[in-house]
Amino acid sequence: MNVAATKRMIGKYGIYFVFVIMVIAMSFASPVFLSARNLLNVVRQVSVIGLISLGVTLVIISKGIDLSSGSVLAVAAVVAASLGQSGDWHAKMFPELPQLPVIFPLLAALTIGLICGAINGTLIAKTGIPAFIATLGMMVSARGLALLYTDGRPVSSLTESYRYIGQGYILGIPVPVIIYLFMVFVTWVLLNHTKFGKSIYAIGGNIHAAEVSGVNVKRNLIKIYAYAGLLAGLAGMVLSARVNTGQPGMGVAYELDAIAATTIGGTSHSGGIGTIGGAFVGALILGVLNNGLNLLGVSAYWQQIIKGSIIVGAVVIDMRKNAKKN
Amino acid sequence: MKRLFKKSMGLMVVIILSLGLLTGCGPRGNEEAVGTGKGERIKIGVSIANFDDTFLTYMMDGMKAYGEKHGDEVHIEFVDAKEDMAKQMDQVENFIVQQKDAIVVVPVDTSATDPITSAATQEDIKLVYVNRNPSKLPDGTYYVGSEEIVAGRLQMEFLAEALGGKGKIAVLMGKLDNEGALKRTKGNEEIAEKFDGIEIVDKQTGLWQRNEGMMKTEDWLNRFGDDLKAIASNNDDMALGAIQALKDAKRQDILVIGVDATPDGLAALETGDLTATVFQDAAGQGGMAMEVALKAAKGEAVEKETWIPFRLVTLENIEDFK
Repeated sequence: MNVAATKRMIGKYGIYFVFVIMVIAMSFASPVFLSARNLLNVVRQVSVIGLISLGVTLVIISKGIDLSSGSVLAVAAVVAASLGQSGDWHAKMFPELPQLPVIFPLLAALTIGLICGAINGTLIAKTGIPAFIATLGMMVSARGLALLYTDGRPVSSLTESYRYIGQGYILGIPVPVIIYLFMVFVTWVLLNHTKFGKSIYAIGGNIHAAEVSGVNVKRNLIKIYAYAGLLAGLAGMVLSARVNTGQPGMGVAYELDAIAATTIGGTSHSGGIGTIGGAFVGALILGVLNNGLNLLGVSAYWQQIIKGSIIVGAVVIDMRKNAKKN
Repeated sequence: MKRLFKKSMGLMVVIILSLGLLTGCGPRGNEEAVGTGKGERIKIGVSIANFDDTFLTYMMDGMKAYGEKHGDEVHIEFVDAKEDMAKQMDQVENFIVQQKDAIVVVPVDTSATDPITSAATQEDIKLVYVNRNPSKLPDGTYYVGSEEIVAGRLQMEFLAEALGGKGKIAVLMGKLDNEGALKRTKGNEEIAEKFDGIEIVDKQTGLWQRNEGMMKTEDWLNRFGDDLKAIASNNDDMALGAIQALKDAKRQDILVIGVDATPDGLAALETGDLTATVFQDAAGQGGMAMEVALKAAKGEAVEKETWIPFRLVTLENIEDFK
């Protein structure tokens, strides 16, 4: 392989190289990093942010933004939790409610996410207000809704089948990881092998051109945000199951982590560019970073500074690659 | 037609935003009032740092309970400062304009309370700070709270004794800019230094949240393995997260201690998952703050600082705290 070809390779897969280098560096720095348990840990730790970032990736490819994910996650989590409390808990939200099968809270979480997302999309598509404003409104309102619903109190002690979604294992693999990987696959298919996926790229690339060439922009925008909301709802279900509680203060600033993961993964905020593989690796980079800094015992203050720098650094590298292409 | 459309769009934005802000600020009402009696009542305005905070919710319960009990004497109005110092200042100024007899503040930032203090004292309105101590208390201002550092000391004394004076301990801290988090951790360190065998091996922030506490603990378990003997958490919720991680790793040998004695915390204490917790009397602080405000407004003599004690909660005395 000649030099130019190597450079092209590094350019195209830059972020994957960054990830591999980080993993190699970490495995030298900490003996426990490469242990199976720690690696599963990392993927499980990123699964919630990862789920959100899949939806956010579609949104950003369409040249939008979603600031509401963390709040939508909280509403979904508290409502789902209130339908999934175990019978013997003394502070049940609905004392009369029998112990429901896990499918009810799950459907509730997904439906709430879907509705919140659809409202975002409808506002953006039908009124033309910027996505930033529409989803900012949802971010504030949904958080309020979560507080209103719970009266500010935690909704705790969930049924065993509910907790399984967050704490269980299938063949030694944590259930949240399986859900995450499954949704990575589903979203990848959606983006690369459906008309909907092509429309997302078209809308992000040039919204007018997309409209002229027959893409139903409005309907697709609604679908994009609804899907992002659905994933935020699912993330709420997984997170509440993981920690055995639904709390109105959950997921604050998660949208920013998800946007960071997506951006690190090479999705361009100028629209039309981005991949699910990138979003996946972006989330893993954030996870390895968090995990690595903890394993190395880096002081809590320094961790934040380092994290911020690496997020910007990764994107700078990626931008240079895109700039060269143009 | 086009102009009309533009106009209506602008209106739409305003409506959506204000709807968003309204619901956001005021889930349980941005403002709430307690007290139903008739006649001249002492008017008290309360600015709470953040309605989202579970602990402060219980504190408000204490305040409301006091207000309902003394409904013929006081009228209490609550506002939410949403962790915004400037907003809290505005709220206090509003209270002054409304000629409240006393103002109660859970400050957003204890290092920036001077403007609030001078605004209230200039108008000769009694001012009571709760839970977070601004340390400067001129005439007409009061403080009700608990000494945070004591909670940290109680935790570490308990752990040191339970471990027989020997073992590695990790500390889950709250938000790093929060006085409670810093003081509780300092209390942990003070006591740990007295024992040769006790070592604090790491301090990381779990942002007061269960999920974050869990993730830090997962990483600690991989890093320290069997060496780790105990986890001291700045609050119960992060401790519960740590417990989740311990259960997952099938580690039942590690002691976990929290602070707050929340209902979730007490439930975990009963099942033996949580080793102990430290009770900070949220409702007690709230009720006492109202009592101090009422007495001061009536011109009765009140102590400048009223301390609500922290207490260690274990299986032995759990019944007192339910």
